[in-house]
Amino acid sequence: MVFYTPFCEPRPIRLCEETRRFAWESLQGKYGDEARTYSAVSLDHIPGFSELSEVEKYNIAIAEIAKNAPVRICKEEKVCGSATLGGAIDHVVPAFYQGRPVFRSVSHLTLNFATVLKRGVNALENDIIERSKDDTLTDAQKATLDSFQKAIAAMRVYHKRYLQAAKTAKPEAYQALLRVPFAPPRTFFEAVQSLWFTFSFVRLCGNWPGLGRIDEMLGGYLEKDLARGTLTIDEAREILAGFFIKGCEWIQSSPVPGSGDAQHYQNIILGGTNENGEDVTNEVSYLVLDVVEELAISDFPITVRVNSKMPRRFLERVAQVMRHGGGIVAVYNEDLVLQALERIGYDKKEALSFANDGCWEVQIPGKTNFHYVPFDSLRILLNDTLRLNTDSPAHFESIESLYIAFRKNLKNTVDKICADAIKEFADFCEHPEKGVCSVISVFEQDCIQRAKGYQNGGTVYRVVSPHIGGAPDVGNSLLAIQKLVFEEKKVSFDDLMRILQNNWEGAEALRLYALNHYTYYGNDDDEADAYTTRVIDDFGDMVEAWQGKSPIIFTGGVSTFGRQIEWAPFRLATPFGKRKGDILSGNDSPTPGTDTEGATAMIRSYCKADLKKMGTGAALDVKLAPGTLKGENGVAALVALIEGFCRLGGYFMQLDVVDAKTLKRAQENPEAYKTLSVRVSGWNARFVTLDREWQNMIIERTEKNSL
Amino acid sequence: MSAALVTKIQRFSTHDGDGVRTVVFLKGCPLDCKWCHNPETKKAENQLYYVNRLCIGCGACRAACGQDAHAFLPDGRHIYRPEQCALCMKCVSVCPAKAMESVAQVMTAEQIMEIVLRDKPFYGENGGLTLSGGEPLIHADLCVELLERAKKLGMTTAIETSGYASREAVRRVAPLTDCFLWDIKDTDPVRHKENTGADNRLILENLKIADSLGAKTVLRCIVLKGVNAEPAHFRAVSGIYHSLQYCAGVELLPYHTYGGSKREQLDGFDDGNKAWIPAEADLALARDILTENGVPVL
Ligand code: SF4
Ligand code: SF4
Repeated sequence: MVFYTPFCEPRPIRLCEETRRFAWESLQGKYGDEARTYSAVSLDHIPGFSELSEVEKYNIAIAEIAKNAPVRICKEEKVCGSATLGGAIDHVVPAFYQGRPVFRSVSHLTLNFATVLKRGVNALENDIIERSKDDTLTDAQKATLDSFQKAIAAMRVYHKRYLQAAKTAKPEAYQALLRVPFAPPRTFFEAVQSLWFTFSFVRLCGNWPGLGRIDEMLGGYLEKDLARGTLTIDEAREILAGFFIKGCEWIQSSPVPGSGDAQHYQNIILGGTNENGEDVTNEVSYLVLDVVEELAISDFPITVRVNSKMPRRFLERVAQVMRHGGGIVAVYNEDLVLQALERIGYDKKEALSFANDGCWEVQIPGKTNFHYVPFDSLRILLNDTLRLNTDSPAHFESIESLYIAFRKNLKNTVDKICADAIKEFADFCEHPEKGVCSVISVFEQDCIQRAKGYQNGGTVYRVVSPHIGGAPDVGNSLLAIQKLVFEEKKVSFDDLMRILQNNWEGAEALRLYALNHYTYYGNDDDEADAYTTRVIDDFGDMVEAWQGKSPIIFTGGVSTFGRQIEWAPFRLATPFGKRKGDILSGNDSPTPGTDTEGATAMIRSYCKADLKKMGTGAALDVKLAPGTLKGENGVAALVALIEGFCRLGGYFMQLDVVDAKTLKRAQENPEAYKTLSVRVSGWNARFVTLDREWQNMIIERTEKNSL
Repeated sequence: MSAALVTKIQRFSTHDGDGVRTVVFLKGCPLDCKWCHNPETKKAENQLYYVNRLCIGCGACRAACGQDAHAFLPDGRHIYRPEQCALCMKCVSVCPAKAMESVAQVMTAEQIMEIVLRDKPFYGENGGLTLSGGEPLIHADLCVELLERAKKLGMTTAIETSGYASREAVRRVAPLTDCFLWDIKDTDPVRHKENTGADNRLILENLKIADSLGAKTVLRCIVLKGVNAEPAHFRAVSGIYHSLQYCAGVELLPYHTYGGSKREQLDGFDDGNKAWIPAEADLALARDILTENGVPVL
């Protein structure tokens, strides 16, 4: 039972043997495999199901899940509740009609768990009942509120079944469940049970919410218990570990290889300023780090809201945990994120409560309906602007005229995304039966008050964010054309276009020259970085221009989430020497193979764009070799790296520690490396669950970094 | 303005002094250690790297070269003849594959500081500039200028040195240096001479001078199996430690053969010696003796 680490020192041991074994079995896929044996409840026996309205179908689906999903209480568990249906792992509502899912589920949001703790689910139900008394409600609104109430009723059914099961099996959890989540918790244990039960019910219904600011939500309960002497810090750690281990219940022993199995968007936030201007870091923040450090749990990707008031000791703990790799802990530069949020119209107080959306895009928990639309900007350059996919490629007389043409096409893409989003949102607001998801809506502020669903204008905010991918590849392409064609005149514009159409065939010397003789984005070279920076800055302005035209908040973001792998087979050869099918830049990071100056240079390049314009985020991936982080100075260096990132105006950084040798060994012998995690793009994946291409890309990147 | 040949400026270094540092490697070294880890920094003059593996045989180098330093064997393989090269760098600028590369660039203090300053946001209170080589102290004027500038800008300063330099150079840089990373390659004068080309008297004298000027030092001891990995050596190191007032302790550097691939690109052969790689037991022995004698092992 060795929890993998690439670092030279082993992971510390603080938890009891039983908890560790529970974690081990869960990480090996015991419970995920079990869930796979029971995918979904059946709706086939419901008379006239296909004739029912969407809302009625949904209500029945949720009721059937609550009634029939297997109840599971593990011998070692502390808190009870489980998402036991395999269909939920596939992001659908696990209630099937004639063998097929009826509803897709919801992710990329963080629910209002803070309200569940503060007021209890009963209070939410009362709100619904009160709201239903209004006789000016339309029929659709009545149906919506009715559906909300049925969602809570279903939760009650599921809760009763757990109460029964826990009575003898788990007396402590039983006592807590007599109260939570319907009434507010009084102790740390009750609070953790309340949070877990609510979270697991939402997940059971197929949804993948993030958790938000777990330390802020739970810290007060722990503080009181510790002060009263009713709980020790070690006991609290065991309870919290129970929560985290339960959160691994969807891990399977041999899932279908793909983009990684640990991506159910159950992200959490640690630290950060609260409404009173204080940093919220508390004992729970430290305990969370203890747990993931010891158990190598990567299923709850953590992002720390780094700010100047944060205790230095906490940042050092973050660095210590980072050294064990897995990319489990990432950082937001709180100052910059707050500026970005205010810029798009959140008021200051509201902005302070930001969390991620279960992935890494920023939003306000329980208040934002967030939607992002990714697109490939390299395609806009190579296909739409240079027309390399046609018989008559374009010709430009200067790099500026080329850029202006590119920018026009980029704007067309952005404009189409935003215009479509406005139409789509209006359509959903007009048709409350579309996108019904009452289990989500009841935990989103204002849905009850407005008697509208989460997708239908019920939330406080609707945010749509076009996400640009491939911007560094565009920047590098422009730079290479400027140098090869216009400055050094190594090749004419038209010949270069022909060469690119031939995928550099027969022009190997020129290809290598382009690849090797210029400095590209990511090396802190101002001339090179200017191209990528300009693309990102202009993109930000184009999106901002849509602000105020509709109820939607429009803001940009920079990400690819691994889409650079899906895009690769369809992308054409690039002017900077990459061939068709090469895997190019991920997120806002340099194109693989073009950065040679290391982490600080990469951070500086990335920070040259005005990232305040990216309201939902711009992600940078930094990989470090474990050898560079040894000893106390290794921790100090990581802290310095994070602080420098913030000082320079970075937004979001994922730091991962990996060495290529180990990854190769894991590729050959996956059985022995089941707990080895790597940060992919906003999520952590167990390395062995990635398909070969992904694995190779990560190995390639890592090798580059260890030179 | 002083200038020198710089082989590399390494940013985000975490091993050559406190915090995040930028290490400037200056070319040229008066010693000739058999185990040199940075063989490209030895010679005072510039050189070319030739990386055979990268060469695509395009012939651009031969066409560009006025010295006939590039040739092709009958089987098509390209060879580079350093003895004929006049270092005009024409082949470097035309070689598409970067198979030919200049080992170093002449840089002024101004140019070096421009790069060092880029990482200022990451230095915090502890980080800063480290001068290394080669033997940086043979470029005393440049060192003084760089250290003065760095200090003025609030960075910490460190020098990695063999100590084999003029007493004058040591006296000049010591007041500007927060920490010396001082190589103690061997304590046996005869072996020292045999393996590095010089005995260690000057090195130890300079160490005393630096200490007498109040400079903090860390002793860096390379551990070579079959050469110095023996109790007498580490006892002698302990003695040196205790003779100094401002020495923070000893860092043990196990010999490795990474220098080999660089050497291959310089001379066409790799003379890394695997037999020198110390076993864990050799390192444990070194640590034990030092610790027993009250020396902090860093
Ligand atoms: S540097 Fe000049 S002289 Fe030397 S090999 Fe290259 S082209 Fe010839
Ligand atoms: S120019 Fe470079 S790639 Fe071409 S033959 Fe010479 S060394 Fe080889």
